[in-house]
Amino acid sequence: MKGKEFTEWLRGRSDEQLRALVTARPELVTPVPANIESLAARASSPSALSRALDRLDRFALSVLETLVVARPYPADHDSLRALLARASYGTAGEGGDGGDPALNGTKLEAALEAALERLRESALIYDAPIRNAELRDNAEPRDADADSVVPLPAPGVPEALDPPAGLGPPAAEVFRHHPPEQIEAMLAGMSPGIPPETPSETPPGMPPGTRAGTGIGDSTQRNGGTSLERLTARLSDPATVAHLIEEVPPQARAALKDLTWGPASGRLPNARREVTVATARSPIDQLLARGLLGATGEETVTLPREVALVLRGGRIHHDLSPFPPEPAGVVRDRGRADRTAAGQAFTFTRTVEELCEWWSTDPPGVLRAGGLAVRDLKRVTQVLDVPEWVAGLVVEVAHAAGLVAAGDGEWLPTDVYDSWRVRVTENRWVELAAAWAGMDRVPGLIGERDERDRPLNALHSDLRRAGAARVRAQVLGVLASAAGIAPTVESVLAGLAWERPRQRVADLDRVVEFTLREAEQLGMTGLGALSAHGAALEAAPGAGLGADRRRAAAESLAPLLPQPVDHVLLQADLTAVAPGPLTTDLQRRLALMADVESKGGATVYRFRETSIRRALDAGQSADELIAMLERHSATPVPQPLRYLVTDVARRHGRIRVGTASAYVRCDDPAILDEVLADRRAALLRLRRLAPTVLASRTSRAALVDSLRAMGYAPMAESSDGDVLVTRADARRTEGPPITRAPAPVRPEADVVAAAVRAVRAGDEAHLARRHPERAPEGEVPRSPSSATIEALREAIRQGSRVWIGYLDSQGHATSRILEPARVEGGYLTAYDETRATIHRFALHRITGISDPGRDSPSRD
Amino acid sequence: MGIDMTGMNGPLIVQSDKTLLLEVDHELADACRKAIAPFAELERAPEHVHTYRVTPLALWNARAAGHDAEQVVDALITYSRYPVPHAMLVDVAETMARYGRLRLEKHPTQGLALTTTDRAVLEEVLRSKKVQPLLGERFSPDAVAVHPSERGNIKQLLLKLGWPAEDLAGYVDGEHHPIALHEEGWTLRPYQKEAADAFWNGGSGVVVLPCGAGKTIVGAAAMAHAQATTLILVTNTVSAHQWKQELIKRTSLTEDEIGEYTGTKKEIRPVTIATYQVMTTRRQGTYRHLELFDARDWGLIVYDEVHLLPAPIFRMTADLQARRRVGLTATLVREDGREGDVFSLIGPKRYDAPWKEMENQGWIAPAECVEVRVTLSDEERLAYAMTEADERYRFCATTPSKNRVAEALVRRHAGEQVLVIGQYIDQLDELGEHLDAPVIKGETRVRERERLFQAFRDKEIQVLVVSKVANFSIDLPEAAVAIQVSGTFGSRQEEAQRLGRVLRPKADGGGARFYSIVSRDTVDQDFAAHRQRFLAEQGYAYHIIDADDVGEENPAK
Repeated sequence: MKGKEFTEWLRGRSDEQLRALVTARPELVTPVPANIESLAARASSPSALSRALDRLDRFALSVLETLVVARPYPADHDSLRALLARASYGTAGEGGDGGDPALNGTKLEAALEAALERLRESALIYDAPIRNAELRDNAEPRDADADSVVPLPAPGVPEALDPPAGLGPPAAEVFRHHPPEQIEAMLAGMSPGIPPETPSETPPGMPPGTRAGTGIGDSTQRNGGTSLERLTARLSDPATVAHLIEEVPPQARAALKDLTWGPASGRLPNARREVTVATARSPIDQLLARGLLGATGEETVTLPREVALVLRGGRIHHDLSPFPPEPAGVVRDRGRADRTAAGQAFTFTRTVEELCEWWSTDPPGVLRAGGLAVRDLKRVTQVLDVPEWVAGLVVEVAHAAGLVAAGDGEWLPTDVYDSWRVRVTENRWVELAAAWAGMDRVPGLIGERDERDRPLNALHSDLRRAGAARVRAQVLGVLASAAGIAPTVESVLAGLAWERPRQRVADLDRVVEFTLREAEQLGMTGLGALSAHGAALEAAPGAGLGADRRRAAAESLAPLLPQPVDHVLLQADLTAVAPGPLTTDLQRRLALMADVESKGGATVYRFRETSIRRALDAGQSADELIAMLERHSATPVPQPLRYLVTDVARRHGRIRVGTASAYVRCDDPAILDEVLADRRAALLRLRRLAPTVLASRTSRAALVDSLRAMGYAPMAESSDGDVLVTRADARRTEGPPITRAPAPVRPEADVVAAAVRAVRAGDEAHLARRHPERAPEGEVPRSPSSATIEALREAIRQGSRVWIGYLDSQGHATSRILEPARVEGGYLTAYDETRATIHRFALHRITGISDPGRDSPSRD
Repeated sequence: MGIDMTGMNGPLIVQSDKTLLLEVDHELADACRKAIAPFAELERAPEHVHTYRVTPLALWNARAAGHDAEQVVDALITYSRYPVPHAMLVDVAETMARYGRLRLEKHPTQGLALTTTDRAVLEEVLRSKKVQPLLGERFSPDAVAVHPSERGNIKQLLLKLGWPAEDLAGYVDGEHHPIALHEEGWTLRPYQKEAADAFWNGGSGVVVLPCGAGKTIVGAAAMAHAQATTLILVTNTVSAHQWKQELIKRTSLTEDEIGEYTGTKKEIRPVTIATYQVMTTRRQGTYRHLELFDARDWGLIVYDEVHLLPAPIFRMTADLQARRRVGLTATLVREDGREGDVFSLIGPKRYDAPWKEMENQGWIAPAECVEVRVTLSDEERLAYAMTEADERYRFCATTPSKNRVAEALVRRHAGEQVLVIGQYIDQLDELGEHLDAPVIKGETRVRERERLFQAFRDKEIQVLVVSKVANFSIDLPEAAVAIQVSGTFGSRQEEAQRLGRVLRPKADGGGARFYSIVSRDTVDQDFAAHRQRFLAEQGYAYHIIDADDVGEENPAK
């Protein structure tokens, strides 16, 4: 009955409302249900409901719980509001409004409307005419006109919410398995001062379907009322319960108090004891004897819902807030926070680049079990000069962004890196930040030990944690709501608890803490407050990162980034200071001829003999080097530096070494004399060929090394006398395509629209019991496959029908009229009018496509 | 500091390794220098960009001088060109907060007490096995008794633990002795007065002044503050003489009031000057002259050249914590890395004058450093290649080619006061012979040395050849040219000392020249590179010429 009503309500929703539903609960359309009926069934399934409930904030959830629990059932709008108002200002005055009722009332009203609308949108509640509601529930007659509607929880919701609001089961459930004699004893024990039981009264304490006597089939004593029914009836009367509570000693009341706000059950040895008011000794006995507590297991006692509601003083929730808690923390100057974040964003981007450049030439190995060895992570720490957790973060983010991947047993930069590298800094950062936000691993866990006491390695799949991306998105959401404030961890946790009360993530506290410090490291936040570019990237939980969002983030970041400089300051102590990030070209040139000594806002390079030689080895001449320095120096080139370059060049290559089983030649015979005279040259087995040439039986490489060790600067020669240029090769791997975590991604609007259209179409077909259309006659359309996909996309966009030729799984050519819904992973999902069902078609089996309106039979 | 540098154009760049780069040509560079000097040590000062380093010690020095973290953070943010990493700001605040959580104070009944404002810190410190034996009874939750003799040791240990204690236990006055500055024909320079005042107000500590800036006079001014018997520790005997003469000249002290405690004399007078060497002489495993520290009730102890303070003196100093101490040095950098001991035992840095500023004000002479590269003859190269590794430096440092260049340089500077400095006696003797100049070396008697120095001062002698004995604390006001033919490998300290020889202001106001003669393509050149880097980092103009160019260069330039 109820399900039908829900289905009808769902069917009555507009397309737009259905699209909103699908957007909010994307799991309902994977795969696309055939019609509204199955959509409704799926929306009421426990697993789908559980996911939908998990997405509710505390207030919306409380509204829903109130709807389920409220008595009389169903609660109309006014009583709903009254209950929530009491809960909202609960602690201020029992049952009354605290604070400024008028103001709070208006705010609450608005919040309630919004929450109801959200619940309706997600199909967690639906509107039912009061008439129907009354019919089902035998509630006291109302004078409302038949047209007015009340919100009802959608089918399955009460079960999915169990236990709602931390309340225990109703008395009928609690005492169901008690022997009737015991219940009689309880009834008898209720003191004479209590108003007599009124069996005629409807027990309003139970949700529909669980009413005593209807669900459990003990219909034999229906009229007189079973003892269970009478007990529940008594307990359903608040006055009775209040009186009973008055009777018990204070210790017993304290025990009740512990259970009032849940959990509603407690442990008690020998719970099923037989006690009466007369024999009760302990405070708990007193409660058990009066039915204020009931045994629900050998060692479990439970507080019946009716009693709890009385104890809660007419409220269902404890200090409920219709709004998220105010974030607490230090107030930060926006401009300064943004600049700090931008500085950090720049540093992080550069660190990632540095890592990739380094791994290009010196990649670490992939562990047999996957991941990066502890030793290799230590090296990252040293080379990048960052703390260990930052090293882990850098490596993980680079991986998540697809910049590094495993290839040939080593972690190597990918071809994605090459295209990333040439982009401007702000876009590079956006890529990294988006990858971080969406990644399903928790880099903060690196270095800890798993339950089998093995260390958790970076880049290992063990770092995956369900919900990591979701928590990150939520933390960013809380940060966004706390504009200009650096919220404390506690405050963020409080915010999350309000946003997602049902969420269960292992180690939530730590994941939140990691997220905050990582956000700071990445430059999402500055001084703990969300930056403007971070806010631009931050998406409402569940939404994807669209291109426009990325663009907005990049645009707000760009002006804050340090501008690349194309000059350096050269100094007599043989350093060059780049007072900001260098242009890529200059940076590469300098990195070739000088060693980096210090990094940060500026970069300090030091020229050494070895570094100059490296540049000369790479084929540059001394004149070129000096010209380059002159061009890019803001100050005159210091004499010592000029001298160093020419001096190294003077010596560089003066000694040349060949491959032909190794020879040494030099224009200066004295040097060769020198070489030969050196005792250390004995090992090289040198022989003088000519005044200017030595030959050796050592390999060329060994010879070069040895001569260098002796203090010369030899240069390798090829067999035909050319100078060999030595320079380390940068390496690349193919790498898998970047996978972005799909979890928090909100489906694209056109997919949603298509899905809704497909459901509608299916539903129309279902309702009309349409007969399959005749397959169109005539030549099956043929068209090239690229055109096919294009045409399908177009049809999806316009919602039009197409006529296709299709090879079925047996290889028979068939002809179909379709209403395409979406194309995904090589498959087309469409409503097949010739078969009157939703069907998935392999794209490669579609032989052709054309417009059905023109040359195929129409639908009539 | 009302300047808002939000436009990203400040003079300061903060590096991730906690160094600060200051662009000196920037219009705000001076203001910025003043703001960061209290908490950052100047590490390098080449011509365009100066490098400062922020270390825990530097931050604690700043705390000891009364600066708080807020000021430091503010200075960084105000002058930084790029956003300052948050982590660095947090680190600064945390480090600075560690100073002064623990205090050494006088206690009426317990004598000396270690007190705390943060009980958790005290608990942490008390758990250390090394600290426990130094402490007495914990007479209150926030205070522990300390044996007075462990005052220095506990400070050293606490610094190592990262909780430097503020020493508020005060000082003994010492035996009173009147000392006054005798300003006749000279006056205390402003920075000298500031330095002495800063020391006195701080109680104990180190004054950092470049060579030639008149550290002796700062010492004298400190003594005039103390008005008490004073023990002065210097590096060697010549230096001791110099101190004595300087004190007689600059103060009311007479010759009879000043004693020398050296290898030859053992006088103990109201003001006593002792050398490190004699204090660290051991016989049969014991220091023979320790009693000097207790010989009088000293009111002040002066440490000359703190960066050279030998380890045993540190240990002795640990027991002298109740006496006022002033350290004088050109640099806090110690080659052995014991800066922390200087901080905890002598005291925090009390005054620091940027050296380039003093040169600009004319207190020290500008110097030009020239490295002359000598190409060895073919025979020399052959011989060099065959030399054993441990003999190589000596060989290339003393080649005849070098001597010829040295002689050419001396000829070029004929008429000027020239010092030729070297390491190897044979080489010096040979040079002395060729140049017809007296040689001062280790075996030269003190009397003879002083006679030669005086003759040099009086310009009776124009060229003097000296070995490394002249490295420290001799005063040669009129040396305009120094020629270094060989050195102790690449020692930066030696370079600073030798340069100091020519940095004293000249009567004619002319600049000084400092030549280093280096054999090309040998280890000599590698060592020279070290020294070159040091000098360039100190901001000296530095250039390299070839030996062949020596004859053509115009000396007047």
